Amino acid sequence: MTATASAKTIIEAREVHKHFGSFHALKGVSATFSEGQVTAIVGPSGSGKSTFLRTLNRLEAHDTGTIRIDGIELNDDLKHLDAIRREVGMVFQSFNLFSHLSILRNITLAPMRVRKMDKAQAEAKALALLERVGLGNQALKYPVQLSGGQQQRVAIARALAMDPKVLLFDEPTSALDPEMVNEVLGVMRELAHTGITMLAVTHEMGFAREVADRLIFFDHGVILEDTTPENFFTNPDHERAKTFLAQVRHGF
Amino acid sequence: MNWIRQNPAWVMVGAMVGLLLFLWGMAIPLSAAPAPIGQAAQQFAEGSRITVLLTLIAGSAGVVIGVIAGLGKLSAFPPFRWLCDFYVWLIRGTPLLLQILFVWLAVPQFLPESMQISDFSCAAIALALNVGAYNTECVRAGILAVPQGQVEAARALGLSPLQTFMDIVLPQSMRVALPALANNLASLVKDSSLAYAISVVELTMVGYRVQAESYQPIPVFLTTACIYLILTTAFTTLTAALETQLDVGRKR
Ligand SMILES: Nc1ncnc2c1ncn2[C@@H]1O[C@H](COP(=O)(O)OP(=O)(O)OP(=O)(O)O)[C@@H](O)[C@H]1O
Ligand SMILES: [Mg+2]
Repeated sequence: MTATASAKTIIEAREVHKHFGSFHALKGVSATFSEGQVTAIVGPSGSGKSTFLRTLNRLEAHDTGTIRIDGIELNDDLKHLDAIRREVGMVFQSFNLFSHLSILRNITLAPMRVRKMDKAQAEAKALALLERVGLGNQALKYPVQLSGGQQQRVAIARALAMDPKVLLFDEPTSALDPEMVNEVLGVMRELAHTGITMLAVTHEMGFAREVADRLIFFDHGVILEDTTPENFFTNPDHERAKTFLAQVRHGF
Repeated sequence: MNWIRQNPAWVMVGAMVGLLLFLWGMAIPLSAAPAPIGQAAQQFAEGSRITVLLTLIAGSAGVVIGVIAGLGKLSAFPPFRWLCDFYVWLIRGTPLLLQILFVWLAVPQFLPESMQISDFSCAAIALALNVGAYNTECVRAGILAVPQGQVEAARALGLSPLQTFMDIVLPQSMRVALPALANNLASLVKDSSLAYAISVVELTMVGYRVQAESYQPIPVFLTTACIYLILTTAFTTLTAALETQLDVGRKR
């Protein structure tokens, strides 16, 4: 799915800066993302990929610059923040399932609390989502009883239960044993074709190349390349990107 | 203990029913005991009920105080943090007997004539403040034990800070804090005996009076000790079962 020129802009980041103490983690990041676009974000460790993703739902507050999601500006206004967090789901490297709640309750909690959905409706929806990620028979288990790959699929179902327009993935497969990576990538691949906007920080270059419409390369807190996966892998513009690719390939 | 592990819910019900039966039924077998216990059976039963009531009231208030002060110690607002630190430092650094006497003798001087509080209330207030300070540390440790990633996941799903606290942080931190809180509650059964100093007619006071009238300290204090042992055993069984009951998320 290649984003067409007419697609509506859903995320707009302009000149975003972020410091951690004296450390300058994001140095003027600008990018717009249109609805339905699937973007892979790659780059060396510490380059600011996670920080950028986390500013988009304000798990980190940016210092200067503007971020708009679906036309709403992300700032200290709590109403804006509530509105944005309903539209933006996030999947974490370490799953972060609620360990004291059953799989079913993990998924129904937010729709019931935030969207005020009634219990029966929320459970029906949760079961349908679990079915979709291939875990229909695990609803009554607890997170510790599932494998990493299964937990990450539950985390995806949990995010989807809020019907987000945007899904952010921060290295969703990095904490998994190799044999479980594909079951999660499979779910993500299927999602990519549903029209949801996806931004995925990933080290899975095969996945980026095959599924993403767009590829962003981060380095030292700036976007160094913003191109198509095809272009990036065959013919990167910057020396740093070439070095990065050489290292990644060497890793395989 | 195995039988607690297997059927925590039934053990809880059993311990509670057992405790109630004991408190309201103990006078019957006791009255058959030889002098001086027999004729004081009703007093022992009444004294035990006061001891348990004092423990339950001070214990519940102490948990609430512990949660508030435990949160306060982690607050981002320094004056609130200092206040909670000061409270814990003050209570843990002074004898409980002094605290009870202070509430009994000094606090009424701050109150208008028309608003006098009973001896029982004075004891309950002092004990609640005391156990609350010890609970504070347990609750704080419990809150720190909740993985930050789960808090972030809840916030990213759109839950408000209050919802995140009530649904995610509090249940998990209480589960971690429960063994220590239960310990404090069992100590409170015994610490409540100091209320005798301000003439609350609880179990120790009953024992003291009965032996003073009969000049037979040995059977009287043995009886008193047995009743305390039964009470503390009931409380520890109850809390151990509660712990198992709440442990579901970690069970494999
Ligand atoms: N909460 C924080 N406090 C201080 N420094 C931070 C914090 N979060 C991130 N940093 C720093 O900001 C820089 C960028 O971090 P970020 O997590 O965005 O990198 P990344 O590109 O996601 O790297 P990785 O591939 O290792 O996940 C790093 O140098 C990191 O040490
Ligand atoms: Mg990262």
